[in-house]
Amino acid sequence: MVSSISLSIDSDLDKVSLLARAVRALCQDLLSSDDQDAVELSLVEAINNVIKHGYHGERGKDVQVAVGLQADQVVIEVIDHAPPMPAQVLDTASEDRFDFDETDLDGIPEGGMGLALIRMNMDEVEYHSSGSENRLRMVKRVVPLSE
Amino acid sequence: MLSTDLRDNVLVVRVEEKRIDASKAPAFKDEMTRCIDAGQNQIVLDMSQVDFIDSSGLGALVSCLKRLGPRGSLAVAGATGAVSRLFTLTRMDRVFALHPNVDTAVEQLSA
Repeated sequence: MVSSISLSIDSDLDKVSLLARAVRALCQDLLSSDDQDAVELSLVEAINNVIKHGYHGERGKDVQVAVGLQADQVVIEVIDHAPPMPAQVLDTASEDRFDFDETDLDGIPEGGMGLALIRMNMDEVEYHSSGSENRLRMVKRVVPLSE
Repeated sequence: MLSTDLRDNVLVVRVEEKRIDASKAPAFKDEMTRCIDAGQNQIVLDMSQVDFIDSSGLGALVSCLKRLGPRGSLAVAGATGAVSRLFTLTRMDRVFALHPNVDTAVEQLSA
């Protein structure tokens, strides 16, 4: 079984939840509830980054999401036409972001968590820019239900 | 988006939204900041109605904690599912005291 669908929204933070809930519903039959949480969070973080950092909060720009449902994996691509993100931003994002000292109140992070969360929640994350288009490709593998 | 109730000198702030995401985080932070600036420093945030939070929402919570300063307490009650999962993933469960419900959180803070 392979099926795919493309969805798009205007670059408006108010519209992100609509898209996230639609994609979560699409994954319902393939992924556990915990993995649906992982996908929904990653997608929201990815789109927030595009709108906030790529388009600098400007509305009226396009954000596309392509969802591929396969027997063994869910592939989600977030496509935008903003200036590309520097490659090292994704490369250096990791769970180390959360290795903070909880006794140092000022040092507890308030932002810069999105890409780290995406990498922690998805099995593969790749970013490609060509021409005026950027694609963040995220893969979540389907864990077969145990008998 | 928030409703408040004072119990045993602890301010119980209930989030009346299902999602605290980047579109809601600024208003959430503003409303919480008003409670803090009004002098409340023992706060229980009831998140039992919330079923999704992203890093912007979590960042707003951290910002409130900083505003409250070291003398205040901000406890979280009723976080389940994707909400409690985000606290664990980001290790913010070390920063915020998580309670199963408002009653136990209020009991702890008013003790």
